[in-house]
Amino acid sequence: MSDAVLQAGTRPARSFAWPRAERLRKGLLCAYAGLFFLFLYAPIGLLLVLSVNDSEVIGLPFKGTTSRWYAYVLTTPELIRALANSFALGFVSAGIATAIALMMAMGFRREFPLKGLLMKIVLLPILIPGIVGSAVFLVFFGYLEIPFGLWTTALMVHITWALPFAFLTIFPRLHGFDRGLEEAAMDLGATPIVVFRRILLPIIRPGIVATFLFAFTLSFDEFVRTFLVIGTQRTIPVHLWTLIIDQMAPFLPAVGVVIMAVSVSVSLIGFALTPKEK
Amino acid sequence: MRSPAVPGSRQALLALPGALWLLTFAVLPLGFLVVMSFWTTTIFGLSTEFTLDNYATIFSDSVYLTILAKTIRMALITTVLTLLFSYPVAYFLAGLSGRSKAVCLLLLFMPFWSSYVVRTFLWLPMLGRNGLLNTLLMKIGAIDEPIDVLLFSEGTVHLGLIYVYSLFMILPIYLSLDRLDQRLIEAAADLGAGPFNTFRRIVLPLSMPGVLSGSVMVFLLACGAYVTPQLLGGTAGVMFGNIIAAQYLNTNNWPLGAALSVVLVLVVLAGMFLVGRKAKMEEIFVGGQH
Repeated sequence: MSDAVLQAGTRPARSFAWPRAERLRKGLLCAYAGLFFLFLYAPIGLLLVLSVNDSEVIGLPFKGTTSRWYAYVLTTPELIRALANSFALGFVSAGIATAIALMMAMGFRREFPLKGLLMKIVLLPILIPGIVGSAVFLVFFGYLEIPFGLWTTALMVHITWALPFAFLTIFPRLHGFDRGLEEAAMDLGATPIVVFRRILLPIIRPGIVATFLFAFTLSFDEFVRTFLVIGTQRTIPVHLWTLIIDQMAPFLPAVGVVIMAVSVSVSLIGFALTPKEK
Repeated sequence: MRSPAVPGSRQALLALPGALWLLTFAVLPLGFLVVMSFWTTTIFGLSTEFTLDNYATIFSDSVYLTILAKTIRMALITTVLTLLFSYPVAYFLAGLSGRSKAVCLLLLFMPFWSSYVVRTFLWLPMLGRNGLLNTLLMKIGAIDEPIDVLLFSEGTVHLGLIYVYSLFMILPIYLSLDRLDQRLIEAAADLGAGPFNTFRRIVLPLSMPGVLSGSVMVFLLACGAYVTPQLLGGTAGVMFGNIIAAQYLNTNNWPLGAALSVVLVLVVLAGMFLVGRKAKMEEIFVGGQH
């Protein structure tokens, strides 16, 4: 059974009993998948085109290429500040969330009371709909009179949002880890700290980096849980939102492309670092 | 001899910061929201006297009930449409192998790795008056004037939600199809089953766990949608999430907003318990990185 599972990923479906139906099925399936990818990428392609369109309104016709919208985005103080805020917030909240998640995943390798319940509570921030999550924090922080801002409320919201994902990414890696190695080191007299630094950490480091990058993109892209509690400060998605609601300024596609470029490239690095199972 | 000195109970303490964090910032605020849903707002500020007024308002005012029903209906339609569009894609991906599979999976993930505000905003220039679709339709002569019906309708919201959430459907279905033992299909073919019967009797039942997880996930996300209906829905596409936000952005009625939130969470939980018991939720949430 287990080698069948291994093979399933590498062997294409092959059925000799119905070759014609098989060819037709393959052809239709490929055509459909092509259409689906067109559906995914056509709007993104359009955004790229519009971000360099030399026109005062967002839309067609295409009036020639310009780099002025990107120049505008990268020289406007509010936009740079919002971008810098998002980078800083993503960095800090991903770092804290990853650290807490790593500790929690290590704790989860042992048995302790209420472990099953905690495993369910971990999912809570994901299961609560975004807008409710936003209301929850607004009411909670508002009633406690914690001042709204980037490094107060938004930071706590982003850590809480990224924590479950970080935990769920890191936990399986630690769970499958051979405990014999650690036990051998302990037998030879290594302290728990040394065991962690010399054995566990080197092996799971790629997993930790990938988790950190994943948490960073979660924070960098987060909007709905943030916009009610960030006060007058702006992250880049929150700033983009206020710009869309205010007026459809012609530089908006360029802002969109910049945001996409950051999260896609960070995710790609994380993807490349993630050890592949097959 | 194995050493018994493996840091057992002390290592379990490492779970404590996470547990405390979740208690403080997930359980406690949610509990407080539930408490506040039984309060009221007056001209003097919050009245902390226990009352069911907010729930009475929600369940007697047809506006809230209509939008709640509409939200559930729209979430169901979105889920079914996403399932129909996604299944063949997942099936296609599971049939690939080697390099082409890796490339296609990467191509699938990439759009979903970026902010959903941007991915929703994308549809404004696609469907607007001087958008791509109107331009194309005018070029082929299907219409003479740009049409407005493409944007700001319920249909636009469905489209936006499918675009933003289809990965959460494709991924679990793909994972269950990918695990499927190919020998079962060959055996069915050897025993004389046609392609249709093989699909209906073997492939489809075995991919049901993936279908269930994906459907629960998309339903859950669609129920709580705020960004998509706000940007693409106009007045025709208002959903429950927009009503909740309005209590905090416009009318400043926190207790009513809290009660509306509780109602939405109960709907989502009910949906999960109805179909989601068998689904493996953990697998979907981290899917984007595997």
